[in-house]
Amino acid sequence: MAYHILLVEDDPDYRLKVKQSLQNAGFVVTETEGEQAAYEAARRKTFDIAIVDLMMENTDSGFTLCYHFKQDYPKMPIVLLSSSTSEMDIEFSMESTWERNWIKADTLLNKPIRFEQLLYAVQRLLGCLAAAH
Amino acid sequence: MSTTATTVKIEVNGRQVDAVPGEMLLKTLKRIGIHVPTLCYYEGLTPTGACRICVVEVEGQRNLIPSCAFPVFEGMKVHTHSDRAVVARRMIVELLLADHPDDCLYCERNGRCQLQTLAEDFGIRRRRFEGQKDDNPRDYSGESIVRDPEKCIKCGKCVRVCEEVQGVACIDFINRGSKTTIGTAFDEGINVSSCVNCGQCVTACPTGALVGKSHVKRVMDALRTPNLHVVVQHAPSVSISIGDEFGLPIGQDSIGIMHAAMRQIGFDRVFDTSFSADLTIMEEGTELVNRVKNGGVLPMFTSCSPGWIKYVETFYPQNIPNLSTCKSPQAMLGAVIKTFYAEKTGIDPRKIFSVSVMPCTAKKFEASRPEMGRDGYMDVDAVLTTRELAQMIRRFDLDMASLSPEHADTPFGTRSSAGKIFGATGGVMEAAIRSAYFLLTGQELKDLKVEAVRGLDGVKEAHLDINGLKVGVAVVNGLGNARNLLDKINSGEKTDLHFIEVMTCPGGCVGGGGQPYGTTRESVQKRIQALYAIDVNEQLRTSHSNPDITKIYAEFFGEPNSHKAHELLHTFYHERETLT
Repeated sequence: MAYHILLVEDDPDYRLKVKQSLQNAGFVVTETEGEQAAYEAARRKTFDIAIVDLMMENTDSGFTLCYHFKQDYPKMPIVLLSSSTSEMDIEFSMESTWERNWIKADTLLNKPIRFEQLLYAVQRLLGCLAAAH
Repeated sequence: MSTTATTVKIEVNGRQVDAVPGEMLLKTLKRIGIHVPTLCYYEGLTPTGACRICVVEVEGQRNLIPSCAFPVFEGMKVHTHSDRAVVARRMIVELLLADHPDDCLYCERNGRCQLQTLAEDFGIRRRRFEGQKDDNPRDYSGESIVRDPEKCIKCGKCVRVCEEVQGVACIDFINRGSKTTIGTAFDEGINVSSCVNCGQCVTACPTGALVGKSHVKRVMDALRTPNLHVVVQHAPSVSISIGDEFGLPIGQDSIGIMHAAMRQIGFDRVFDTSFSADLTIMEEGTELVNRVKNGGVLPMFTSCSPGWIKYVETFYPQNIPNLSTCKSPQAMLGAVIKTFYAEKTGIDPRKIFSVSVMPCTAKKFEASRPEMGRDGYMDVDAVLTTRELAQMIRRFDLDMASLSPEHADTPFGTRSSAGKIFGATGGVMEAAIRSAYFLLTGQELKDLKVEAVRGLDGVKEAHLDINGLKVGVAVVNGLGNARNLLDKINSGEKTDLHFIEVMTCPGGCVGGGGQPYGTTRESVQKRIQALYAIDVNEQLRTSHSNPDITKIYAEFFGEPNSHKAHELLHTFYHERETLT
């Protein structure tokens, strides 16, 4: 059965591009355009994984969304997509234990990303990595 | 009969000098030992005269002239350090500083920035001009290189090295006038560009506008984490270049004290990537013999250099079948550490943090490729460049002069010098020829030195006769040279080659994008000489004679190109769509 992904992204063009690429890779995708809509979607349905943009209604929407999701749905992995460096010149990473403690995502990717990076992150967190050969 | 003058006479600061007709004045000045500062000048590339910092006064010329882009002529009278020239240079530096960020303390190039050095040399102690600051964001998206356009002085060295040396042309000048900056196609970010992550732009950049993406924080965090087994491997060329960072003679082999420093830093095990270079030779040599015997795709290209791999995937996807399926030595050892070594020591591979020290920024990208891992973990968790290792050694206040040399750890501590010379252009080929001869004839090559594949020429070719089997080989360094050869192969003009070694960087790994700042052609040459000196004094000079290699096949892989070897030591490639 196909994995169900919650995609939370406020840029409609980017959302469409990522959604189509994920669907082509065999995933079922539910898209929402912001933090509040994401809470609603998660209440209605159980998702296998969430892909969350960092800056949406607020500049820290992604962080708060991750925080609440990890409280309410601790088993759901989260991939956080950030363009904070290019938009605000603030660089986030999850390279240290301290950063991994406060950023409640499982993986952080800096935009622009190659789709293979996102696909690998999703497959790794779902434990469904394609065979190497 | 007409004759062409072999020299022209010019006068420099009142001194008569012979110069070569047509050569740029800067080159003449360098030869006679007169130093004129430069920023945009890059030896071997088209001079642009963009920065004007090398201006000198020439009698009869109304304006000061940029010596890097002005040819000498008979009777020329030059004043390199007249008041007019020096004042103009100082003014140029002040103008460059006008819109430059004030964050030198926090800049990676602090202390090694050419602009900072010039400001110091000219005694500039305050900002005389306040220019409008650009608000171009940093580009942190790539795996290997970080761009900070605010620190860019538009000298264009990165653009020229990317296009003229590497044939990639990933970055160029964009926008116009005061809005001019350097960026990727559509300014979309380096991560989705055609950048091959070679880092030659980083070593060319005079300021902190282009730097490698540091993994030091990752490694420091791992070293602090309890119950994590942190191992490190180091590439063949690192031990002969790390000394540059500590004022040791260029090309001095510091392998023993580097091992000691790594242990002082806290790495639990220290391994030598030259071991897996030997492993690469066994796998790649067997693959080549199989291709030749079974009519496989030829010529076969080496696959040690990750910049070259991405280059083929991006620009020549039709040649992907020509690439050897072997992983690079870094990736091979990474895979072996998390399987064979984990099994042998009884350590859960998830509790092993595997670090590599490479002369290369592209290895960071390679380590992040999804293919380079299994079961959700990566084979190599962090890649430090030579520069980053030096930074860590300094951070731990280790005195390289007082450390006692130590050996690498077993089971990967034994290497042949064939694996060591991988660091030089032609090294992989020479190591491969030594072992291929043995594989095909059962006898050792009489003279292990293969002169035809040595040296800094962009493309070297040799035609060998091994027991009646005629083999054509070529060695290429610099992707621009690789492009020329590929075009000849693809057009059918070149049909006599079976095996081609390609190293992305000029001179091979010794000239890699992760090597100490200030690497020159001369230092590349000295490092190559150092590698060959190690080889000539070594007892174990062929990969197939390495007892640890024999052991790992006997205990783990069975034989070269076995199923298990394919699973762990080989990979696959795919075409890349990029904005070019």
